[in-house]
Amino acid sequence: MNPSTATPTATHALPDILRGDTKHLQGWIQNWQTRQFAFAILTIVIGSSLYGAAVGLWRAPAQACYVALKMPLILLGTAFGNAMLNGMMAPLLGLQINFRQSLLAILMSFVIAATILGAFSPLMFFLVWNAPAFSVNGSGSVHASILLLDVFVIAFAGIAANARLLKLLRELSGSRAIAMKLFFAWIAVNLLLGSQLSWILRPFIGSPGLPVEFLRADAFHGNFYEAVFNAFKNFLR
Amino acid sequence: MNEPNPQPPVIPPGTLNLGDSAYAPLGSNPNEQIPITGILTAFEAILRQPRRVLFHLTQANAKNVIGALLMIFVIASVIYGFVAGTFSGHDQLWAAPAKVVLGLFISAAICLPSLYIFACLNGSQARLYEVAGLVAGLLALTTILLIGFAPVAWIFSQSTDSVVAMGVLHLSFWFIATCFGLRFLDSGFRHFSGSFGVGIKIWTVIFLLVVLQMTTALRPIIGRAPTFLPTEKKFFLSHWSDTVSDSNKAAGKKSDQDYR
Repeated sequence: MNPSTATPTATHALPDILRGDTKHLQGWIQNWQTRQFAFAILTIVIGSSLYGAAVGLWRAPAQACYVALKMPLILLGTAFGNAMLNGMMAPLLGLQINFRQSLLAILMSFVIAATILGAFSPLMFFLVWNAPAFSVNGSGSVHASILLLDVFVIAFAGIAANARLLKLLRELSGSRAIAMKLFFAWIAVNLLLGSQLSWILRPFIGSPGLPVEFLRADAFHGNFYEAVFNAFKNFLR
Repeated sequence: MNEPNPQPPVIPPGTLNLGDSAYAPLGSNPNEQIPITGILTAFEAILRQPRRVLFHLTQANAKNVIGALLMIFVIASVIYGFVAGTFSGHDQLWAAPAKVVLGLFISAAICLPSLYIFACLNGSQARLYEVAGLVAGLLALTTILLIGFAPVAWIFSQSTDSVVAMGVLHLSFWFIATCFGLRFLDSGFRHFSGSFGVGIKIWTVIFLLVVLQMTTALRPIIGRAPTFLPTEKKFFLSHWSDTVSDSNKAAGKKSDQDYR
């Protein structure tokens, strides 16, 4: 790693991180600063909350508040829940970075995702504002449209964020093979925890036939993969 | 006899379009450095010397240029909106201009954050206010061109009763004008990032869809309604389908009456 890498100020770092500027990506993880760390957390909270509020608003204002709380919980829960495991895997897979640096690298990708989500929140809000109002019967197609757009936006944010993370890992390791191994290992464990957290914290858009609530009554019964497996089994019947 | 090889007339660079000289550094031509001091100079510059506008968007006086572009947008939108309102007359004479200004401005404001994100992801060095300036230029150029179409729109609005026909006509004019506005945006991003990336092409589609939906969210712009804003929410495809269907039914009834 290059020790002369510039340390960006927190607020000016964001556009450089989005651009994938190698110097700033390295500077981001090499120099731990409390302000920079706080900025990352704040960006994740604000970006994902705005997006969550826009998504939940179609069902009810209360749902918007709930989702605004739940979205940052998922991102931060995934980053901190896997922090130790991710930090351990880095040296095991050939990249000599410490625990803080691995956490900052993951946070950097979540900052990018949250910024993209925040930037798309006015568009999501506009869609929801224009969507026919919620009704218990006959809102299925609107629910499906919002869900579809939600999937596209989150997928786009995730792909863009992980592309930057992969670029950073390549720069740090100087080896494509090491970067790919670590990248897929991190993605796998983050997906594992992230999808389960999303399952527990459902609903987000809010199914038309179910009440508005922070957590479903069966939030802690079953898991995401079990539900996918059961859905697949029912599909094959 | 004339000279055997007369010299062709010298065309001042940067005064035609965004074509061949578009890749030279901004401000390399002294004409581009002439200050944009007000609405009239901004009006002339955005039409004849878009590179001059782009150059000044990167300078200290960028706020003044953006302000001038937005003023042009407001004035031009009000004029075109008034012409669109003459189709129905009455309240639409003030409602249509207000809706055109608000609709385009809110659409641009909604799409600005995602444009900035797409630009950054594409590697653009443009700052947020420069991107905002490009969007202001897009709005100004689009609405200036709409004024050019206004006499044609007025003639049609006085000679037809069909809301569908007028809607299609206005949308066609808006689409053509927006294509020119997007060329300005494209040129700006070529200077700020070297290319108009895939992300920004996706943004263009998003922007067009948002404006189309805005025409439905703020309806009616050309027809008449008892309320300023609609009471029922619809997506624009559904609204257009209903409008065409109602128009066909009305035409069918009229045809029956004529036959009887």
